This record gives sequence, structure tokens and C-alpha cells, in this order.
Amino acid sequence: MDDSLSRSASITQPAPWQRYAGVATPLLLLLLVTFYLQWAGSAYIQRVWIILGLDIILVTSLNLFNGFTGVFSLGHVGFMAIGAYVSAILTLPLEKKATNLPDLPAWLAHTQLGFLPAILIGGLAATLVALVIGRPVLRLSGHYVAVATLAFLVIVRVILINATPYTRGSRTFSGTPAYTTVWWVYAWAVVTVYVAWRVLRSPYGRAMLAQREDRAAARSIGVRVLRSRMWAFGISAFLTGVAGALWGHYILSFSPNAFYFAETFSIITMLVVGGMGSISGSVIGTILVVLLSEVLRNLEGGFSLGVVQIPSLYGMSQILMAILFIIILIFRREGLMGGHEIDLTRLYVPDFWQSLFRRKEV
Amino acid sequence: MKRIGSLLSLALVIALFISGCTTPAPTGGGEAASAPAETIKVGGAFNLTGELSSLDVPAANGAKLALSEINAAGGIDGKQVELIIRDGKTDPATVANITTQLIDSDKVVAMIGFTDSDSALASGPLCQEAGIPFITAGATSPKLPSQVGDMMFLAPFGDNVQAAVGAEFAYDRFGPKAYLLWDKGTEYTTLLADYFKTRFAELGGEIVLEDTYQSGDKDFSAQIAKVKALGEQPDFYYISAVPDDIGTTVKQFREAGITGPIVGGDGYDTPLLVEVAGDAANNVFFTTHALMDPDNGSDAVKKFIADYNAEYGHDPENAFAALGYDTMKLIVDAIQRAGSTDGAAIAKAIEETQGFPGVAGELNYSASEHVPRKGVTMIEVKDGKFTLAAEMVPEKVPAP
Repeated sequence: MDDSLSRSASITQPAPWQRYAGVATPLLLLLLVTFYLQWAGSAYIQRVWIILGLDIILVTSLNLFNGFTGVFSLGHVGFMAIGAYVSAILTLPLEKKATNLPDLPAWLAHTQLGFLPAILIGGLAATLVALVIGRPVLRLSGHYVAVATLAFLVIVRVILINATPYTRGSRTFSGTPAYTTVWWVYAWAVVTVYVAWRVLRSPYGRAMLAQREDRAAARSIGVRVLRSRMWAFGISAFLTGVAGALWGHYILSFSPNAFYFAETFSIITMLVVGGMGSISGSVIGTILVVLLSEVLRNLEGGFSLGVVQIPSLYGMSQILMAILFIIILIFRREGLMGGHEIDLTRLYVPDFWQSLFRRKEV
Repeated sequence: MKRIGSLLSLALVIALFISGCTTPAPTGGGEAASAPAETIKVGGAFNLTGELSSLDVPAANGAKLALSEINAAGGIDGKQVELIIRDGKTDPATVANITTQLIDSDKVVAMIGFTDSDSALASGPLCQEAGIPFITAGATSPKLPSQVGDMMFLAPFGDNVQAAVGAEFAYDRFGPKAYLLWDKGTEYTTLLADYFKTRFAELGGEIVLEDTYQSGDKDFSAQIAKVKALGEQPDFYYISAVPDDIGTTVKQFREAGITGPIVGGDGYDTPLLVEVAGDAANNVFFTTHALMDPDNGSDAVKKFIADYNAEYGHDPENAFAALGYDTMKLIVDAIQRAGSTDGAAIAKAIEETQGFPGVAGELNYSASEHVPRKGVTMIEVKDGKFTLAAEMVPEKVPAP
């Protein structure tokens, strides 16, 4: 037995617990930061942290579709709108329903549900719509499906504006009870990341990746392209609808304008910056974009760099974010993570620490 | 190694963020006094970028002008006043964030801002919850005080008032047959059209054709075609629109050969109307808060225009500049009368305001009226200029 063989025998596959620990560590860190901010942070930082959590859910569920199936959907914010409105109509207190939504049908006017049932129903409503429109739309590919999903977004907005008895049309929908807390948001964020992780490593996920890479080759080995896309679309729509419900009960007053192009491009920016197809990429991209734009926004009012006084320039944060986006698209088109995942499994394998201190063999 | 680079940059950003949150808040323009001694902080939440910026930027400028005058005169009982301005970007999430920032981190005692009802609704409940009085410089929905609570006040008149004036003026001057076009995409335009319909029907007018469009629509040929198909053209055209759309709308209507008078609300009070529509903007009438004309305005208006010009180098863009100025002066006056920085005391002082001389009209409030009783200015666009057509108080106002 010479040394090289014994060395190779010591490189073993990480045990399952080490793999799970590796995946869970970033989430644990996130939760620790959340604890700390709840205890020590100002109300403002807590608000930003909640928005960050909501964006993580939105971007990860969008990644589940755009990244895994390779189909670029521009209409996901439509599911967010459906989730928000359905859950808000269900949780609106009865007195507010009488004043704000006097034309509701009787069965709705007397219903008031708790937060969790309303969230789930909102998500399911989004899934239902996804399955209905998915059948025709997901047969398309490339630019065509992007435009078709964009059309879906416009249709959702027009329906919301015209369904005045249910949604108050374009008027602000206010009076939603303030149920969303940072724990609700991060619980769902953990669920979203977990679901995305498991889907990716399941046969469904493999089928999605296969048809993403090469549709014809995937079909030749028996992968059902439409079915795998529908699975991704349905799951992703559910999670986006849930995010919409959480968002609606956080922002407390919203209108169809809130679920349109501005929100769409905001989410897509975070998705592309982080890297499509990488779950850790979508989380990192979201954190980077949200925190960076908050930092820049706070600097908009003017600041001093020692002796130099930079004057106020409102709108600068958006200009800088756009420049960042362009730079990333030029130099690192696949995004920061580039389709790879952060795998901290190594941290839990003793061999990793030993190899740091081991002298290099000659 | 590349991955470590991404992680490091991420860590750097998070560190910047956490430290950046203790950055001292920006004060308007740099001319506000940030004296080391105790100052009284007022929050200025405005949409300096985004769709409402053409109204909010003048309002913020007006408020800053008022601030410098107040501080030059000694502030409140010797203490300087600080106006902390933050940009809401016409986005409800950002509006809520900056409101929390102003209340929680900057510790303001009162809040002013916004010229649209949607932003006021995003911001109002947070002020209500914190017990901070909030006077909106330009949001005109008369439902705001009942929707938000007793900390909510309006500096301008309500939409029901200006729609009633629009209906009465047009009925008397042009005739009983109207065409109504309104923007389905915002609360303001929907409410304005609704109030107009109610008042116009009460007067005995008839809406021969009603049509709608979406905010941001660039092509009105469908609506114009329906108007041209009418056998007999109506006496006037009431178009309820937001500043970003009105120039385009008026231009296309005129280009299609529709020469009748076009009437609307304070959404028309923007430089964009004449900039975009050019000559087509003639024969357009709209209700607003004041006429910013150095020759024909009231004395208060003339002085305000001169001061604004001296400070910023150009005339006030629209009446919202005067409204921002009035709001700042009102809140400081209320703090002075309250004699304390307690939110409830300031709110009570605002409620007790009678006959406050504003550039955009006299302000009167009461415990049950958080929307002031004010006169309405009707402006006519002649030769590309805003001229005074009438100053009216409506005979009857539709309920909010």
C-alpha cells in the first residue's frame, strides 16, 4: 500500500447529514441575521429586511421557472397580483368589505378568512390560472413565449382594473389587515428555497434541465417537454402567488399599477444579476440588488467624502443600478453565480480542514 | 476563487448597508440649517423621481423656500427648523420605507409631502400609527382623512370641490352636453370623473358619451373615432387625466379636428401640457389651486413668484409649488401654536386653523373637516399661456 492509494481511500463521499448541513448553513445565517435585526435593528432596517425576504421568494420562484426550464417568463408578476388580490379580498374585515367593496356577491361579502388559509387559496388561484394558460403558452419557445407571458401580465392587469366590484378597479385597495411579519416572510422563503432545491434534484427537475439544454434531444429520450414545463409553471405560480399575498398584507394598500412593468423588471434584474438556474444565485442576487439600491438611495441626498461634498442627485440610485446591470450583462452574462450553487458541504467534512494544514506532498 | 469574490462583495455590501443606515439624513438642498443645537425636524416625503415628479419637485422646492424664510425669521421660538426630504420614487414600497425612515430613524415630529392620493395612502397609515400629523401638499382625494385617520390633513381642496366647480363652470359657459373621458388607471382620475358626473347630472347636464383609457396610453384614436362618430358634437369635453398623459391627449384630440373646449382638473397644471401639446393646448380649461402669473396673480402670488425666481432662477412651474410652500408654513405655524412637538397637540392646532393666509388660497380647518374649505381657480390656456378664467366656490359639492 503506497501513499497515493491510501490518500485516495480517504476521499469519501460526504454523508447525507453533511450535505444537508452544507445547504442549511446559509439559511441559518440568514435566520440569525433576522433575529439580530428584530432585536437590535431600527424599524426602517426591519422594513428593508422584510422586503428583502419577499423579493427572495419572488426571485427564487421565478428562477424555478425561468432558470430551470429555460423559458423566459415576463408575466410572473401577474401571479403575484392574483395572489395579492385573492388573499386580500378574503381577509378584508367584514365592515371594510361593506364600505370598500359594496358590490361583492353575498357569499364573498360574508366571508373572512384567517391569514394562512387566505395565502394558500391565493397561491392555489394563481396555480389554477397558470395551469389554464400554461397549456397553450408553454408550447412556444424563445422570444414568442416571452411575449405571450407579457401579454398574460397585461391581461391580468386589465381584468383587475375592470373587475371593479371585486377589486375596486384602479382605485387603491386599502384596509388589508397587517398580518405579514418578518417570520411569516422568512418561513415562506425557507419553504421556497427548499422546494426549489428538491425540485431541482428530482426526476422532474432533471427533465426540466434536459429540455432546457436541448429540446429535441430531450424528447428523443422520452422527456415530456410540455409536462415538465407545466410542473415548473404551476409550482412557481403557487409560490409567486404566496409572495403576492404576503406582499399585499405587508404594504397594506395597493392597486393594479403595483403589479406591472416596474415590479417585473425589478425582479428580473435581481434574477439576472444572481444568475439564472442557480438557487443560491437568486438569493445572492436579490440580497445584492436590494441592499445596494437601499444604500445608494440613502446617499442620494448628498454626502461627504472627507473634504469633498457630493451634492444631492435624486434618481442616482436607479441610474447606478442600471449601469451595474449593463456591466454584469457585458462581462458576466451568466450572472454572479453562473449556474453554480454555493455548496458549503466541505465545511462539515473534517478532511477539508485537515487539508488546509497538511503540508503539500512533494 | 471567483465564488469567493462574489461572496466578499456581498459581505461588503451588507456591511455598507448596516453602517449606512446610521448615515445622517439628507436635508433639502444643503441650505437648511442643521445647527448643532436642538432643531425641530419636519419630514418631507416627496416623489422627486417617477411619474409624479413634475408635481412633487415644485412642491418640494416651495417647501424648501418656506423653510429658508422661516429659519431666517428665527425659526420656532428661536429653534431652527429642519426639513428632511426623502424621495419616494412614485413607488408604494419605497414610499412606505421612507416614511418609516423619517419617523423612526430621523425622528420627525410632523410630516408633509406628496401630491397624489396613492402615495398619501401608502404613507398615511404609518404616520397615523405613530401619531405623527401628516399634511399632504397636493393629494386631493377627499376620502383620505376617513381612510387614514385623524392625523391626516389636506392642504389642497378635495376632488369633489374641483369637479363641482368644473361642472358648474362648464355648464354655465359652454352648455349642457358633455363628453366624458377618464383614466381608469388611477384613484385620482376615477374619483374626479365620478364627482363630475354626479354634479353635472344634478345641474341637468347630459353626458352624451363616456369613454375610458389607461394611464400611459399613447394612442387615443379609438376614443377619438367614437367622438367623431357622434352626430352632434357636445358643448365641451371633460377629460380626467394625470400630468403625464394630458399633453398627448389634448394634442391628438386637436389634431383630429376636435376644436371644442376641453375641461379638466388639477392634473393639467403642469408645464408638460404646453410643452407636449403646443398650440393644441389653446381653449383648454382646468381647475387648480392658484394661478402662478406674475402680472395677474394676487399680491401673495406675485411675491411668491418673485421669491421663487430669486431662489431657483425660474418661475414656479405650477400651483403645486405654492401648495408646498403653504403646507410648510402651515405645519410650522401649527407647531408654534401648539407650543410643543407632541403629535396630538400639533394635530389639534391644525384643526383650529382659521383664515390662514396661503399663497394658494385661505385655509380653514375644523375638528370634523380635515379638508380645507377653499376657493378654486379656473385657468384657461390662451396662446400657450395660463390665464385666469374664473375664481369660484362651488354652490354644491358631491359627498366624498
